[in-house]
Amino acid sequence: MLLVTIFLPLAGALMICALSRDARAVQMTALATTVATLVLTVILLANYEPGTEPFAASSFAWLGESTNVDIHFSVALDGVSLWLFGLSSLLLVTCVLMSWESVSSRPGAYYALLLLLGTGMLGVFAARDIILFYIFFEFTLIPLFFLIGVWGHEERQYAAAKFFIYTLAGSMLTFLALISIVLWDYYHSPDGTMTFSIADLTTGLSQHPIAEPYQLWIFVGLFAGFAIKVPLFPLHTWLPLAHTQAPAAGSVLLAGVLLKIGMYGFLRFSVPMLPEATAACVPWMLGLAVAGIIYGALVALAQSDMKRLIAYSSVSHLGFCMLGLFALTSVGVEGGVLQMINHGISTGGLFAVVGMVYDRYHTREIRELSGLARVTPVLAFFFLLFTFSSIGLPGLNGFAGEFLILLGMFQRAWGDMAPTATLGHVYKAIAVLAVFGVVLGAWYMLWLVQRVFFGAPRESQHEHPSAAMRDLSPMEIAALAPLAILVFWIGLHPEFFLSRMRPALDPLTRSATQALADHQSGQTRAIAAENPSKRGDLLRVD
Amino acid sequence: MAFDFPVLMVLIPAFPLAGAIVTAMFGKWLKHEAHWPVVVSIVCSAVLSLMLLSHVVHESENSEMAVGWETTIELWNWSGVPDALAAPERAIGLTETGVAIAPPARLPFSVDVTLRADALTAIMLAVVTFVASLVAIYAVGYMHGDRGYWRFFSYIGLFVFSMTMLVSVSNFVLLYVFWEAVGLCSYLLVGFWYEKPAAIAAGKKAFLVNRVGDFGFALGLFLIWITYGTLNYHDSGGIAGVLGQARLSQTAAFATGGTATAICLLLLLGACGKSAQFPLHVWLPDAMEGPTPVSALIHAATMVTAGVYMITRCTPLYMASVDAQYAVAIVGAITCGLGGVIALTQTDLKRVLAYSTISQLGYMFLGLGAATFASITAGMFHLLTHAFFKALLFLSAGSVMHAMGGIIDMRRFSGLRRIMPITHWTFLFGGLALAGVIPFAGFWSKDAILGAVNAKGQEVSLYIPLYWVGMITAFLTAIYTFRGFFLTFYGPTRVPHEAGEHAHESVRWMTIPLMILAFFALTSGAYFEWTGQLHHWLGMTPSLAYSAVPRPDVHGGEGDLIVKTISTAFALAGVGIAAYLYLGDNSAAALLARIFYPLYWLSYGKFFFDQIYNVLFVWPMWLLAQLSSVIDNYLIDGIVNLVGKVPPWVASRLRSLQAGMVQFYALAMVWGVVVLIITLLVWPALARSME
Repeated sequence: MLLVTIFLPLAGALMICALSRDARAVQMTALATTVATLVLTVILLANYEPGTEPFAASSFAWLGESTNVDIHFSVALDGVSLWLFGLSSLLLVTCVLMSWESVSSRPGAYYALLLLLGTGMLGVFAARDIILFYIFFEFTLIPLFFLIGVWGHEERQYAAAKFFIYTLAGSMLTFLALISIVLWDYYHSPDGTMTFSIADLTTGLSQHPIAEPYQLWIFVGLFAGFAIKVPLFPLHTWLPLAHTQAPAAGSVLLAGVLLKIGMYGFLRFSVPMLPEATAACVPWMLGLAVAGIIYGALVALAQSDMKRLIAYSSVSHLGFCMLGLFALTSVGVEGGVLQMINHGISTGGLFAVVGMVYDRYHTREIRELSGLARVTPVLAFFFLLFTFSSIGLPGLNGFAGEFLILLGMFQRAWGDMAPTATLGHVYKAIAVLAVFGVVLGAWYMLWLVQRVFFGAPRESQHEHPSAAMRDLSPMEIAALAPLAILVFWIGLHPEFFLSRMRPALDPLTRSATQALADHQSGQTRAIAAENPSKRGDLLRVD
Repeated sequence: MAFDFPVLMVLIPAFPLAGAIVTAMFGKWLKHEAHWPVVVSIVCSAVLSLMLLSHVVHESENSEMAVGWETTIELWNWSGVPDALAAPERAIGLTETGVAIAPPARLPFSVDVTLRADALTAIMLAVVTFVASLVAIYAVGYMHGDRGYWRFFSYIGLFVFSMTMLVSVSNFVLLYVFWEAVGLCSYLLVGFWYEKPAAIAAGKKAFLVNRVGDFGFALGLFLIWITYGTLNYHDSGGIAGVLGQARLSQTAAFATGGTATAICLLLLLGACGKSAQFPLHVWLPDAMEGPTPVSALIHAATMVTAGVYMITRCTPLYMASVDAQYAVAIVGAITCGLGGVIALTQTDLKRVLAYSTISQLGYMFLGLGAATFASITAGMFHLLTHAFFKALLFLSAGSVMHAMGGIIDMRRFSGLRRIMPITHWTFLFGGLALAGVIPFAGFWSKDAILGAVNAKGQEVSLYIPLYWVGMITAFLTAIYTFRGFFLTFYGPTRVPHEAGEHAHESVRWMTIPLMILAFFALTSGAYFEWTGQLHHWLGMTPSLAYSAVPRPDVHGGEGDLIVKTISTAFALAGVGIAAYLYLGDNSAAALLARIFYPLYWLSYGKFFFDQIYNVLFVWPMWLLAQLSSVIDNYLIDGIVNLVGKVPPWVASRLRSLQAGMVQFYALAMVWGVVVLIITLLVWPALARSME
């Protein structure tokens, strides 16, 4: 079932290649494929019961069956990948629907690439073997490269090249790091097989953890690929460019799904497999995350291009996700993973709506637009909804994630795990700054809404009434409505989503949390030994 | 229990929500009848709220007075992260022998969507839904013919839902949720006429200033969570909630000192945002860009009192920190005086009323800050009467604005009492109540606050100057209120040309709510003063019960009579001065303005808070944003591009190596073998040393 779901888009892509003459048939095939994928995904998700991990697993030997090298074609879902998998399926449908009227040049190739990208995304989240993961990981780059390069805007080739080379360069290092993990396990495991299975590696490494100096190097290697993908400040500059130049559907998938792969990588590999290095890097990661939050928000404030603005808001939001993950408190991690989904929904939605604005007005420049609420009220409604979801209005999804993340960060800074004095102050500063990021987030988004959607409609917009006055078509509403429902659903009842991811998250972060606690209590002990009178200060939760 | 509380508690917010949804879905087709779902549903929830109040009072009177009475219902679990926080030992409940202490444990982060009913909530619900009903009915006339007629009523329904939820939830996270939800409604309604740039800018400003307040509120919540290990108010779900623990802590010595003060101050920052207290008061006057029923409902009677409600609700927390009490009182007094001074010189009638609202909310904060039972209940008393008379004043001003074709600048019209007799009378009633003239409502409630602050001043001398600020503001209040009244309704009859030829009294949809409110502006104060019901009811709220709040006996003393005498004299003097200055020609007022020019200039310029904030916060942030953008484009991306140039550069150097010279290739091969051999020899040794 899972295999079918993953490869259905690929089959659809092949079929499209076969009948690429007829644009209508191509569209229908793409829609049918993605809807079928979504239906299968929903059935999968509905049958999932928390704690039954791995779920829907299927695995067969793939490479090196005869040798002791054990590479499996192994896919399964668990609490972490469950919702990301679902989100990918859903956004794929959104993308097909929103491209319905806007993509006219070479539809066959376009939809085929879109579907290929779909298989890549679904595969990344389902893969349970390092090689398979890496293949899907890189595989997502290629369709997107062409989508940006061919169907993008004015600087599309530069953007596509930059996006491709930047992320590829990072993922090379990541691959080296992954291989070193496998090799360490191979040299230290008693049974003498070189396993590439993620689950086996995780358990194996908890029995014979990687020596600490190596851990740090491997962590840095993984960081190179994943942090670029996230993107973590200051490795983010490919993102605004790629977003701005990509066709609308490309932006939606890029923001909605592909950025999540980076953080998914941290969660799946770095944190569970390298607990000591993770613990040692926590202050740095938190620092980079909060820098991204504030910096992304500030730069967003200065943008004049809608897509660039939203791209920088992604930098800020992904900063929140990383903050939650590396706060390494149960509340924070759950919030971080939930916020990944939230960001996919709200920012994906925002990019989709901006794409629809572009279809009508052929501009992304904020100052060339005004008063869209009057001309296209339904479009304005969706934009406003996703805006409020994105700035964390309570009752909508963004709030649930942000609140848990910030709460988790607070616990890290003030709670029972308060570290040494200096580091404690740093953590506290990070926590407060992150909360301040929420204020900035409201500022740039509401200012965007004010300039684009409110005010009086421009004169020039009335020159082509036929094109300008058209509100959303049923197709476009169908593309956005599921996202809007999720915005409310997650906002009103996040526990539904949290309870399904919780059982998987805890084992992934347990060893790192433990390592961090040891790390900190070690430091505390050291300081206490140096300066006994200070001990009371450190332990007081005041 | 013969009576079904859960159904009632759910229905009260559910009605307006249903009304809002129905209007949103079918508004386009309902057209000019789009008000029915919302008006009917709000009236229903008002009736239910009154029922709830009577039943809560009934239940409370049968309960033990020392701890008060409450009931909660849990709807669903919003989040329940298990094992989230290691908590030290904490007080969890009262037993016969004393306070029960729970051992240290790992607590779940559990947020339950729980509604509560106690006296405080029931009173707030009754006030909110009652005023909202009248305002909604009024709006039928006021908004008639507007393009966004159904949109307006849909937002109003959404607001009433959020506000009723705000006062009935039993958890700080949900309080925060609806705290921001009412902010959203305010944003949507202030910017209702979104083609007016000023309106949408005002909406954004309101939202952002509130976000600054909420920044504090959120930090306060996190601190509460870390300190108490729960975010529920009271005793739902087995362990004592925050307020329960704080209440118990007075005997168990729990959260005190710096933590308690920090929590209270952070919550105060949130309250300052929502209730437009200094220094976050700047958004409220701008919010007058919204339709006038919105100003009456949200920015006078209900939403802005959320801060007062929140601090009253958190009384047990504030009891743990004397410093925080001082802070609340000082903020209240500053705001009170500041609002009064600014209101003296504004020419826009609605802005006069807006600054007056700020000032009156300051009174309430002053009362809460005095932190005795008498002063807190007096604050709530003032909240109640203020809701009536300020809504009345705003709606009367709206009636004027409606007749004047959207003009509300008092320099443009005068002498309207002949054209609009009903509005004239209702405004007069509201004005007398606001000015605190006996026997109107404002007199009783304002004097209750001043009397309680004065009594507290006998113990803590800090409160004496605050008391005098309040007293002098009472004098200013009378002046600015009647300045507005005389300038609008007296003098030669003038109407602006926007009003057209047929300026007339408003329709009955509008005048009947005005008359009802006028009745309450006259009677509500005296009624509650004489029956003492409000104090009695509030005393049955757990947060304000006997064990929670000190109750020095201050009522009916000699000090109280002195306070009442002074304030009556001040109010009458204020009305008299306003009459002297603004009845007839305004030359005396102009002369005064010239004599006290610096003061006049400051007041007229609203003490230039907007400009100061722009220079201090907005512009620097803006510059920082531009700077970051430049850094991003040139420095960070520049480095990336520079790194991107390295491979081609290296390649261009290496190209010369492959020039086809066979000797060079052979040499390179030899060197390669040498390096390889050395590595093979050295590597094992290296590896061994690293183990």
